[in-house]
Amino acid sequence: MGIHMHQMTGDTAFRTRGLTKVYGSGAAAVHALRGVDIDIPKGEMVVLLGPSGSGKSTLLNILGGLDDATDGTAQFFDHDLTAMRERELTLYRREHVGFVFQFYNLMPSLTAKENVELVTEIADDPMDAAEALARVGLKERINHFPAQLSGGEQQRVAIARAVAKQPTVMFCDEPTGALDSATGRSVLNVLQSVNQDLGTTVMIVTHAAATAAMADRVIHFADGGVREVIRNTTKLTADEIEW
Amino acid sequence: MFSALDKKLFRDLGRMKMQAIAIGLVIAVGVVVLVMMDGLFNSLSQTKTTYYDRYRLAEVYAPAVRAPKHLLENLANVPGVDSVIGRIRGGGLVNLPQEDVPITAAIVSLPDHGAVRLNDIYLAEGKQIERGREDQILLLRSFAKAHGLQPGDRISATINGAKRKLEIAGLAQSPEFLLSMAPGDLAPDDKRYAVIWMSETSLGAAFDLKGAFSEALFSLTRDAKLPEVLDRVDQILANYGGTGAYGLEDQTSNRFLTEEIKGLATQSKILPPIFLAIAAFLLNIVISRMIQSEREQIGLLKAFGYSSMEVSAHYFKFVLAIAIGGALVGCLIGVWVGRSYADLFQQYYKFPFLVFRVDPQAFIIGILVSVFTASAGALFVLRKVFALTPAVAMRPPAPADYSRAGGFMAAVKRIFDQPTRMVLRRIARHPGRAFGAALGVGAGMGLSAASIGLMMTFTNVVDQTFDYVDRSDMTVVFAALRSTDTLNELRSLEGVTHVEPFRAVPVILRNGLHSHKGAVTGLLANPQQYRAVDKDLNPITLREDGIIIAKPLAKKLAISPGQKLFIEVQDGERPTLQMPVVGVAETLSGAPAYLEIGALNRALKQPNQISGAYLQIDEKLQAPLYEALKAMPVIAGASLKSKSREAFETLMDQSAGSMRYVMSFIAAIITFGIVYNSARIAFAERSRDLASLRVIGFTKGETAFVLLGELAIMVIMAVPIGIAFGLGLNAAIVEGFSTDLYQIPNQIQPEAFGTAGIAVLVSSVFSGWMVKRNMDGLDLVSALKTRE
Repeated sequence: MGIHMHQMTGDTAFRTRGLTKVYGSGAAAVHALRGVDIDIPKGEMVVLLGPSGSGKSTLLNILGGLDDATDGTAQFFDHDLTAMRERELTLYRREHVGFVFQFYNLMPSLTAKENVELVTEIADDPMDAAEALARVGLKERINHFPAQLSGGEQQRVAIARAVAKQPTVMFCDEPTGALDSATGRSVLNVLQSVNQDLGTTVMIVTHAAATAAMADRVIHFADGGVREVIRNTTKLTADEIEW
Repeated sequence: MFSALDKKLFRDLGRMKMQAIAIGLVIAVGVVVLVMMDGLFNSLSQTKTTYYDRYRLAEVYAPAVRAPKHLLENLANVPGVDSVIGRIRGGGLVNLPQEDVPITAAIVSLPDHGAVRLNDIYLAEGKQIERGREDQILLLRSFAKAHGLQPGDRISATINGAKRKLEIAGLAQSPEFLLSMAPGDLAPDDKRYAVIWMSETSLGAAFDLKGAFSEALFSLTRDAKLPEVLDRVDQILANYGGTGAYGLEDQTSNRFLTEEIKGLATQSKILPPIFLAIAAFLLNIVISRMIQSEREQIGLLKAFGYSSMEVSAHYFKFVLAIAIGGALVGCLIGVWVGRSYADLFQQYYKFPFLVFRVDPQAFIIGILVSVFTASAGALFVLRKVFALTPAVAMRPPAPADYSRAGGFMAAVKRIFDQPTRMVLRRIARHPGRAFGAALGVGAGMGLSAASIGLMMTFTNVVDQTFDYVDRSDMTVVFAALRSTDTLNELRSLEGVTHVEPFRAVPVILRNGLHSHKGAVTGLLANPQQYRAVDKDLNPITLREDGIIIAKPLAKKLAISPGQKLFIEVQDGERPTLQMPVVGVAETLSGAPAYLEIGALNRALKQPNQISGAYLQIDEKLQAPLYEALKAMPVIAGASLKSKSREAFETLMDQSAGSMRYVMSFIAAIITFGIVYNSARIAFAERSRDLASLRVIGFTKGETAFVLLGELAIMVIMAVPIGIAFGLGLNAAIVEGFSTDLYQIPNQIQPEAFGTAGIAVLVSSVFSGWMVKRNMDGLDLVSALKTRE
């Protein structure tokens, strides 16, 4: 199966049906996802809410091609992620997915610019690393090492790293979890502008319910399944939301 | 441009530079030994070959008593002979005023005019002998140097019983006399052996050999069959006192040189694999630890879309950088050390030039082998990279499961306190790792023990030889066979307290297809001066009905006591005797065979003949005694035991013998490298745990115990491994290095292990101390913040 997914057709970025993930087996089995059915239109900003262990990170991992499903299907446009082998998943991540993590996960031995280059070097049509850093407001700090940056700056490097490859989708796992409110707000601002300016589908997993106000779509998770999906008719900007 | 991943590689290397350097050095040491040995081996072989060729060293030597020159034509017609020359060679004594005893000399003739067709000489200083100057000589340069003699100096010598004053025209070198040993000596010694070249006319007159020769030299055609040539030559010379022709392989100087070169080849096969294996092991633990600590980064790279291959390639490059870096440094140092050593060898062997040559193959092999072993060490670990799925890698690792270390730990719980339990559980949890580290330290210790043991063995062997085997003060060799009456002459000399005769007969010993060209020494049945000893150093009583042979000889001839040995005498009427082997004697040097002297003489039908004597002397009267001996024309050579002991010890300290110092040094580096690396890794792995301990109220000492206790147990486990490894290595070295010229007994002393053990202990304490310093400097807060 060719993995040239440039020709993506349709308006639905992700569609899952009966998506199930079980860790372990027998008595020790943990059902992280219990048959999840969702549709995520392309270009939307989606926030996933729910308590710890509700399955939202597991869903993110599977949609991001980091983990495989136990059962059910997950489609990215017209490609079946659950049928892909490791090599294809690697290509999928390389070409289409940007990740932002709670703990930034920068390479401590590389500068901000080099951390971004780590991704642009293997991407098909990346933006310039310096440009990506300028976009997140770090133009002046591109030659600093992670240890020389604050938490918010590190997270913005991580976003620049995700944005630089011009991904189709961006997955953010608790992107503001380790940040204070002012810094968190600036990070969300960046994410919002990526979504609006570049048309990137952005999925954010968070505990911070307030973040939901800036989403197109809010998915509430509980106990391994979707409890409720809410569509916001009016979105707030990151500066407007209440922390 | 370098990719971002490559930049990460450089920075990682920079961050782990101490460990990278430590491992790189171990690899380098392996490659140094490989390249150095190869360089030495090649250089010596090449230099030897070139030297031999350039100065046309003869391939066959046929000594005789007196052979008329017309025989040379017959000899030249022997199939396989390319060219032949006849020369006069005899023994003499050089009397130097500053030397107590006369010095043995070989005196060799040079043609009066025309080129020297075989065994040419290199005139290093001074000039050739002038035509018609019968008192002019060329002197072996190394001998002259050892005594401060120069062209123009005059020396006094005894030739064929007559005292002569000789003028040194020039100093010469020859491939024939690279290493020369005086009769009765154990080791070559420049000071104790002179070579004098004189004109043929002059020497012919001195030895009464006008129109005759006493040694024929041959070069052979390419398709010549050596045994057949030797047989034919022996037949032709049989009636002229031929004592048996021999090939270059049995020529003294060449044999020493060949053995030395062989020894180098052996070492180059034994040592490098050990170092490279240890380096592979070290790389394995370092990379393993690195991958463990970088699982998040690996997960991240995979999340970005780097394939397992690309990520593995990244870590593999890390390994390659260390391996290739180490190997390159090794090549450079190897060439440099090899060169310096070659210069030493050049002086030692008195080569007039040196062809230093390292086979490029050695570099390629060195680099390939380093890369290969390092890869082997790393590949096991890199499998883990493939196994990590990105999501799993992104989660912090689950706490190591110590529950399965349970079992016997239940008992441990009741006996030990909490910190001790932590130490023991950790070892029980990773027994493979602990054992691996112990294995590495053990290997280092074994290497130290084997090399220290080897040094002690040498010393012991020297002591044994001189205290148990040769207990005389002096050996005198007669110019020709003498009757036993000469013993009385010697006894009557003032200062001589004890005299014992010996007779040496050139023989070929045969057992089926195995043969050895050497000598049978006839001694008294129960001699006091020079004795054959068994492996417990008890004297063996010589028998009339059977022969006692040295251990290496028994091995070479594949014979054991009870079996019959053919003895082809190469002297007099050349009888062939058949005798059982009745005992095996220990020796240090050479491959002697002993028979009771009376029986030997009866078998040869030459009663009461002796070729020399062992003397015990009164120290207070030695000066006048030496003067008296110098004046005795029958004595062709005398060697003082104290001098020959000195020479032997020098031999063991120089050249190949000195390699063992290099080995001990290397062993020390390795032991320290492993202990230090293990301690560093344990510290890095556990700095977070240790900081936690500090935070909850453990003292620095208690915290250090948790880490260093583990190190201590590892070192203790290493000791038996080190002993086993040392014994094995010693056996291998003894097996590989013993030749029929020198034997290294397999008698490693317990002290060697003690010394090696102390070295391990010291390097452990030092490593522990360095890690303890790091631990005391541990920043508690930041250590706890780091996400593992």
